[in-house]
Amino acid sequence: MLLKLGGHCSFQDFSEESCHGPGSDEMVQEENEFTNRPDNTAFTQQRLPAWQPILSAGIVIPGFVLIGLAFIGVGVALFVTSRSIQVLERDYTGDESGTPCASCANSNVQNSFGFCFPQSQGPVFFYYGLSNYFQNYRRYGTSKDDNQLYGVLKYFTSPSDNCAPYAYNSNNQPIVPCGSIANSMFNDTFKLYQTVNGTRQEVSLDGKGIAWWTDYNIKYRNPTNNPLKDAFNGSNSGLFYRNFLINPIYWSKPAYELDTSDPSNNGFVNQDFLVWMRRAALPDFRKLYRRISQDKYPDGLPAGNYSLEITYNYRVYRFSGKKKVVFSNVSWMGGKNEFLGIAYLVVGSMCVFMSIVMLIVYAKFKFPDEE
Amino acid sequence: DNVVRSYKYSPLTFLPLTLFEQFQRAANLYYLLMMVLQCVPAISSIPWYITIIPLISILSVRGLKDLSNDMQARRRSDSEINSRPCDILISQSFRTKKWKDVCVGDVLRIHKDQVIPADLLLLCSSEPHSLCYVETADIDETNLKYRQALSATHNELTSNPSEEALGAFDVVLCEEPNNRLYTFRGQLQWRGEILPLDSEHILLRGTVLRNTGFAYGLAIYTADSKILRNSGKLKVKRTQMEKVFNKVVIGIVLCVLLAALLLAIGNGVFSTQVMRQTDALSALVVNSDAVYTGFLVYWSYIILLSPAMPIALYIRFELVHTVHSLFIGWDLEMYWQQGDKPAQARNTSLNEELGQVGYLLSDKTGTLTQNRLLFRQCCIAGDIYLMDLSWNPFSCGGLFMSAPALVDRLRRNQCPLSRQFFTALALCHTVMAEWKEQAASPDEEALVGAARELGWVFLSRARDFIVVSEMGVTRRYQLLALLDFTSKRRRMSVLVREPEGGIKLYCKGADIVILERLQKDCPYQERMETALELFAEACLRTLCVAVRSVPEALWERWNKTLSQSATMATCDRDVLLEELYDKMEMDLQLLGVTAIEDRLQDGVPETIALLQEAGIKVWVLTGDKKTAVNIGFSCKLLDPDSRIVEWQELQAEFDQRPEWGATFMSLTEHCRSVLCCRVTPAQKAGIVNMVQKHTSSVTMSIGDGANDVNMIKAHVGVGLAGVEGGQAVQNADFALSQFRFLQRLLLIHGRWSYRRISLFLRYFLFKTCSFALVHVWFGFFNGFSAQQDVSAENSLKFPELYHSGQKHELSSPLKLSLSLLYAVYASLVFFFIPFGVFYNTALDYQTMAVTVSMAATFTATIEIILMTRYWTKFNIAAVVVSVVLFFICTRITHNTRLFQQSPKDYYFLVWLTALLTAWTAVLPSVTAFALNVILTLHDKHK
Repeated sequence: MLLKLGGHCSFQDFSEESCHGPGSDEMVQEENEFTNRPDNTAFTQQRLPAWQPILSAGIVIPGFVLIGLAFIGVGVALFVTSRSIQVLERDYTGDESGTPCASCANSNVQNSFGFCFPQSQGPVFFYYGLSNYFQNYRRYGTSKDDNQLYGVLKYFTSPSDNCAPYAYNSNNQPIVPCGSIANSMFNDTFKLYQTVNGTRQEVSLDGKGIAWWTDYNIKYRNPTNNPLKDAFNGSNSGLFYRNFLINPIYWSKPAYELDTSDPSNNGFVNQDFLVWMRRAALPDFRKLYRRISQDKYPDGLPAGNYSLEITYNYRVYRFSGKKKVVFSNVSWMGGKNEFLGIAYLVVGSMCVFMSIVMLIVYAKFKFPDEE
Repeated sequence: DNVVRSYKYSPLTFLPLTLFEQFQRAANLYYLLMMVLQCVPAISSIPWYITIIPLISILSVRGLKDLSNDMQARRRSDSEINSRPCDILISQSFRTKKWKDVCVGDVLRIHKDQVIPADLLLLCSSEPHSLCYVETADIDETNLKYRQALSATHNELTSNPSEEALGAFDVVLCEEPNNRLYTFRGQLQWRGEILPLDSEHILLRGTVLRNTGFAYGLAIYTADSKILRNSGKLKVKRTQMEKVFNKVVIGIVLCVLLAALLLAIGNGVFSTQVMRQTDALSALVVNSDAVYTGFLVYWSYIILLSPAMPIALYIRFELVHTVHSLFIGWDLEMYWQQGDKPAQARNTSLNEELGQVGYLLSDKTGTLTQNRLLFRQCCIAGDIYLMDLSWNPFSCGGLFMSAPALVDRLRRNQCPLSRQFFTALALCHTVMAEWKEQAASPDEEALVGAARELGWVFLSRARDFIVVSEMGVTRRYQLLALLDFTSKRRRMSVLVREPEGGIKLYCKGADIVILERLQKDCPYQERMETALELFAEACLRTLCVAVRSVPEALWERWNKTLSQSATMATCDRDVLLEELYDKMEMDLQLLGVTAIEDRLQDGVPETIALLQEAGIKVWVLTGDKKTAVNIGFSCKLLDPDSRIVEWQELQAEFDQRPEWGATFMSLTEHCRSVLCCRVTPAQKAGIVNMVQKHTSSVTMSIGDGANDVNMIKAHVGVGLAGVEGGQAVQNADFALSQFRFLQRLLLIHGRWSYRRISLFLRYFLFKTCSFALVHVWFGFFNGFSAQQDVSAENSLKFPELYHSGQKHELSSPLKLSLSLLYAVYASLVFFFIPFGVFYNTALDYQTMAVTVSMAATFTATIEIILMTRYWTKFNIAAVVVSVVLFFICTRITHNTRLFQQSPKDYYFLVWLTALLTAWTAVLPSVTAFALNVILTLHDKHK
């Protein structure tokens, strides 16, 4: 195509016009007259540079296969790891015959039962587990006073309303720590013995560092009183207690005497207390009780016969709950969790399956004549 | 006083008014209820201030928007109107004051061409008999009317022309202020006499004084003037999407109530069955009453499930709408350089309707055509003359003649018919000679102009006579009567006494009306009718011009009846007048036919074709027939096998049998275009309403003139602000300058807007519902106790960031239910996969919450990535920022240190679970997406 421009003419026109003073003024004026003219920018004209990904079957189907394979890979890893984790679970609720500790529930003194433990790989964790126990019930979950648990003395004498009906006892004495969670703290205690050549040898358990770092260092605090007892009975606390504080109703000992062996592990920063206060997500849960001491058993728990001595205090049979103890070692993925591995495998294979379906669909459409 | 206040808010009333307006929205009220509930400690699960933040923000955003609309548009135009000048008689001298200072009882002096500021009782004018002319173009279609003062006041004031006399009228009794423009009843009590008043004596606000030196008037209605009473409030238009959305909201509310009820019942059962036996929990049953506990829990759940109520959607709806409106105004391709007018979205909330238009109802004149009329041809006494007088629109008095034969005839005075024809053109109109600007009706301007070019010059007009120069001879015609043009009569006539003494009736009007009023055996009738056909085929607007010689006796009889009718009640009189006019306008002799060209606007045929391709049914509503049909052909509206419906015929049927409307509509479903001929303005609105009633589609009407206003008010209204402007645009939702801009407005802006909004809606529903439903599933495992999921709130914040100016894929409101179903699926996944992982482990509640919300955020992000097909830097930034923001928030609320302790490795588990959950949740839509990709590829291959 040829475009003939009247170059000479237009040039002359232009120069002529530019020579005329008023003419050029008019031009300028005309420009200014269009005050309502919209701006010509990429944004206002919706012409922003954009990237439109053009996907094709050549990307989508292999993409699906890859994602599927990745999921299967993760699933296999999880599954294998989970399989390698040793778990030993013993129900000790004691309301059924044939279970270990069959008569535990009836005798609330010390009970014990024995079991075998195979050689463990790596450190062993010792959990207690409860089932049918609704720690996630909302009113239960809010039934505590965070200020009190932060060690603010003011809230010792006037606990938050959230704690009701475990804020005051019937004599209007404030309860510390108040609330339903604290009140229902798990109070069975365990001692683990290894039977070596007929003699019972106590396995030392490590109760340090089983609670969350934030709970131990930030959220929960003891009052600064020294000894701690003063904060609870009013002396040296700077407060005048009209009524003496009392322990939670279900508690047999005060908060400042939770661990008699270690004075620093008392009050609100007691590790067992902290573990209990961190609520479980679901009604069947386990909580870390102790670790098998790494100092004495650096390679994990050796194989052998063990017996567990239980101080049976916690009543669960009324709500048909179950209590159990769990020994487990852990891996990079935490405790034993076959669900996750299986779920990964299922979803991964679904992706692969889907990609096969897509391939068939694609082939059908791309080569319809060959059908 | 006479202050116009069309603005709504004053500093005092703003707060209560805006609150009142906004709480009429169900969702706002619902949220207020939520907030009140949150204040009750027994049931609150989230601190009350968390709910109040979105509520306050939506109220303030909306309120500020209303306020700025109010301040900018209404107050400004109000103050402009209120400060127009006028002369008021104050202590015996006239002073120039502002309109707003006019009070009832003030005497005003109105000058020529001034707009009348209030409803006035005409006292006297500078003209003989205190006549005065008012132009009422703003109120109705007729252009010029005359008003006359009472003879009593006229006599008094002309005999004693002083300011003192003007102030001497004491008592005027008026009827209550009302909106009836054409009736008025009142009395003037003056000097012991009671003089009746009617609408003849009233000058209405908004009309313009013409052809009269000045007039004195007594203000009788100021702020209550009839025109203000008449300007009804604009109906609030709601979009289809909003209706769908409201239905969805109601559905969600019901579901929430039901779910909360079920969960509360579950809680009651749980309380009695489980908690009683659990020592740790039994005391938590409030007042040991399971039913009461359940009752409290019910309210808690309502609060907790309230995130499913997408209140924030309203804010974002507004935001998206506003941005889209701005885009419409910014579009350079809808900017009309000649008029320096960009497109304008006057109603910002109807944008997505533009993408759903099913019916386009268009006016013809001025909308499809340019409304710049050129006198093209005429047929006088059966001979057709081609005229190109207006080849140059500025030609005024230029002597270009392209019809030498006609000029010859006129000069030689051969043909009395052609002389009469031009006399008729020069006499029968309502043009004012003094008007410097355009005549109100471009038709008349063209006709009078043509007559002038050929030597029949309209010189001046007064109450009683019209002066015309005929080929250089000045002749004075006594004006006996003026039979107005109305859209119903479709003709106008003047009754004049010629200087020679004979009485003539000159009449011009639509062909069909004139032809049926002709005398028998009218000469040249057949040839004229052929000419009419010819003109119509050439898309010219035709008017017939006719004459009748009226015998003196008939005139006297007729005039007697006419003057009798003046004393009658209005409604009776209208009927009588019509009969009278009919009687006079008969036995006509056809003089000729004029043909005026109204050119199509640029790009009209292309636009119509394009719109029809887009599946839009185009209806053209017009007053004439043949011309319309031909225009229809020339703008590709009709093809040779189209059928034409004559509305007049249908109207009668529809009036009798309303159910026929549905039948008619189902017939038109099969038509791509419909041309409705011979439609009056009132019928136009009727048609629009009928279409609206019988279809679920969005109807859009487009028009340019005052007679389209009713139509434009109907649904989505577009006003063309071309040459005329004004009325139509004032009442329209969108203002364009050219018909062809409709393409862009509908096919580009409308479609985008619709896509964006519907996708946005679906996505939003999906997101909110899937989050809220997680609570329900969780309810089954925590004893139905309204659990609080802190981090879900964090993740709720982000979608706002997702949505600024994104380009979305097509979707329809019907898909909403699908996305709700998908939301249910996703929520199941959100809950049950973490449930499986967390079951019987040492992992705690907070960890699970983080996992679920992380999964939900991933899901939302993947969804948005899937939906976005068009990535600009803004999209990418929005997605990245929202994900980053989520992690920052999670870091703050769930400190990193959490992950360091006991058991150390739990961090992995959370990540793996969240990933798995998110992927499983989006798997259906990813699969659908992938299949879509594969299948569309296939289409492309074809």
